[in-house]
Amino acid sequence: MAADVHKKKGWEVPNGSLAPGDGQHTERSESPTPGLAQGTEPGAGQEGAMFVHTRSYEDLTSPEDGAAAARSPEERRGEPAEPSSMEQISKDFSELSTQLTGMALDLEEEMRQSKEGKLEPSPQTTRRDSVLSGKEEEDVTMDAWRMHRKHVFVLSEAGKPVYSRYGSEEALSSTMGVMMALVSFLEAEKNAIRSIHADGYKVVFVRRSPLVLVAVARTRQSEQEIAHELLYIYYQILSLLTWTQLNHIFQQKQNYDLRRLLAGSERITDNLLDLMAHDPSFLMGAVRCLPLAASVRDAVSTSLQQAKAKSLVFSILLSGNQLVSLVRKKDQFLHPIDLHLLFNLISSSSSFREGEAWTPICLPKFNSSGFFHAHISYLEQEMDLCLLLVSTDREDFFTVSDCKRRFQERLRRRGVHHALQEALRTPFYSVAQVGIPDLRHFIYKSKSSGLFTSPKIEAPYVREEEKERLLGLYQYLHSRAHNSSRPLKNIYFTGPRENLLAWVTSAFELYICYSPLGTKAGAISAVNKLMKWIRKEEDRLFILTPQTY
Amino acid sequence: MSGRRVDAKVVLLGQEGVGKSSLVERCAHRRFRPGPYQNTIGAAFVAKVISVGEQTVTLGIWDTAGSERYEAMSRIYYRGARAAVVCYDLTDSSSFQRAKFWVNELQNCEEGCRIYLCGTKSDLLEEDRRKRGVDFHDVQDYADEIKAELFETSSKTGQSVDELFQKVAEDYVHFTAFQVMTEEKGVDLGQRSGAYFYSCCHH
Ligand SMILES: Nc1nc2c(ncn2[C@@H]2O[C@H](COP(=O)(O)OP(=O)(O)OP(=O)(O)O)[C@@H](O)[C@H]2O)c(=O)[nH]1
Ligand SMILES: [Mg+2]
Repeated sequence: MAADVHKKKGWEVPNGSLAPGDGQHTERSESPTPGLAQGTEPGAGQEGAMFVHTRSYEDLTSPEDGAAAARSPEERRGEPAEPSSMEQISKDFSELSTQLTGMALDLEEEMRQSKEGKLEPSPQTTRRDSVLSGKEEEDVTMDAWRMHRKHVFVLSEAGKPVYSRYGSEEALSSTMGVMMALVSFLEAEKNAIRSIHADGYKVVFVRRSPLVLVAVARTRQSEQEIAHELLYIYYQILSLLTWTQLNHIFQQKQNYDLRRLLAGSERITDNLLDLMAHDPSFLMGAVRCLPLAASVRDAVSTSLQQAKAKSLVFSILLSGNQLVSLVRKKDQFLHPIDLHLLFNLISSSSSFREGEAWTPICLPKFNSSGFFHAHISYLEQEMDLCLLLVSTDREDFFTVSDCKRRFQERLRRRGVHHALQEALRTPFYSVAQVGIPDLRHFIYKSKSSGLFTSPKIEAPYVREEEKERLLGLYQYLHSRAHNSSRPLKNIYFTGPRENLLAWVTSAFELYICYSPLGTKAGAISAVNKLMKWIRKEEDRLFILTPQTY
Repeated sequence: MSGRRVDAKVVLLGQEGVGKSSLVERCAHRRFRPGPYQNTIGAAFVAKVISVGEQTVTLGIWDTAGSERYEAMSRIYYRGARAAVVCYDLTDSSSFQRAKFWVNELQNCEEGCRIYLCGTKSDLLEEDRRKRGVDFHDVQDYADEIKAELFETSSKTGQSVDELFQKVAEDYVHFTAFQVMTEEKGVDLGQRSGAYFYSCCHH
């Protein structure tokens, strides 16, 4: 078995130097601007990053796995680290303002096309005003979201079913189109993403030999985003089997029925699809932290760090789908995707609540050829605090289990137990804390740390479909901002029910949602104020001093 | 994997869904959770203290996942086990075939491991006799043949669950007492004190 990942090739993460260089994080301006170098934005780690650097979902959808994860530091250094003056801010904001109109037109154009059932780009002859009319926006935001339906299939290249999101009955309706497209798809090259549009559906294929993943979606997600979700499903399967084992199986027997090996894991995959529809972590390709006083978090991290063992690679404490602390072996970086898979594994099963689990797990972005062994347990019955200790040695259960005991003892001695309990009572903060009346919600991601922060989703987004609609709007802006042929740095979106603004720089991404009555100028000053607030709160909302052992 | 803070390693094996986790839940927490079935991922470890006469024995119980996905990995869970509870569902004959597979595996790889055959969900037979999918006498013959103890349990009602684990503990004590005399190699009881101990299973 490939449990001893240490000895395997590919163990070394090739980008140990990816943490921002030392010189880059000395200057922490109060209100950062796009000119700021990565590593100085709010939320950027002061002592290096915890994660492998990624470029959000481009990383996932890039043809060669891993290649994109290894963004060279040179590339980043090439960006000028301009001083963060007010002058710069206003310059950026004026740039922001000028781009808004174009965006709104763009969106309107696309909506008209999709209403007419056309998806090929049509000549943009009928441009109108910059702000969208309420009625048309309604089409996007209501009907499409209500019909929010996405079927996901996984097949082997021989056409054997591996996974299907919904029961066969529902699957049937879309199977025909899938199969037809599959034929043409399979003629295409490996590792490609293909999509077709038919009857208001988008059918997106991702081929990761020996598997083919298919989504039939009626959402307004871009095909890139749908492909991104499919790749998560692919990685989810790898995390259970390893890439090596998966390939070995199909080399032995082309028409192997993989459902045998995946039996019982459907729940995990279902949960992942649900999570992706609700949790912006996946969209942002980043990890959210439990808001926690820096002193408490440091005490937790130090306790974790001290409870180490030779075979440990990562010690992770999490609550819900938020990170409390992560301590890693020196020079080993976790990929946010791998952490998301761990979050999903834990949230999909209540079986970890009992005893101590000791389970093989592959972290496919870290090393897809071997298994780690993870010790998974909750610290206390009634407390939503789950400890994950990732070890390279499957024989090391009792040593690792002892690390847990030592960790708990240290926590107790440092007296942070109560503070932790207190923090768990309010795992999400309210946007009201920011003090901007028109601001309803936001997502802010620090690119260098791979962490993001976002308040609780509150009124008027109360019902489940309203929450999904909001995430859908973020998804939409995100896909526009990251459109590979025409990326946009600033997007301003006005609708009858809310206005949104997206701002993507080399150092951070910010998406805000505010009242439909708010003006563009108001939004711009809100951004300014919000960034200052995030800077002020950064040591509570982010992990600025990640630890290693 | 040999634990210092447990006396005897006990492993639960058997097809998925036969009720291994429910058995542990009943034994350790005296409860049964109807709810939706949550298959085990990898394996879960629970320590259970059982009194045998004047002595206490700590069983380190490994509740393994029945999914075939973990089959290749199962060795690490049963290696060095003193006892294996091989489970099958009394209402499902295929699960008994799977139990035989595990018995073979143990006979080949773990000679020192005592085998306890455990037919689960006996309450379902109470409801309806015709549900029995595995003939009692067939199993008894098989148990004799492999020198295994045989139990029919229900985690739902608790029937025979305590008896099963009590027997495992008693056999361990008797067997070990014999071993200590012959090998002069006792159990390290010094490790079993204070906070170092699993607290979840005291009753
Ligand atoms: N009626 C009845 N149902 C039971 C009994 N024991 C278990 N079950 C049910 O059988 C299902 C499977 O039980 P588990 O204990 O999770 O099975 P398992 O052997 O641990 O399964 P894996 O972890 O996948 O290997 C659950 O729905 C239980 O409620 C029993 O004694 N009586
Ligand atoms: Mg189980």
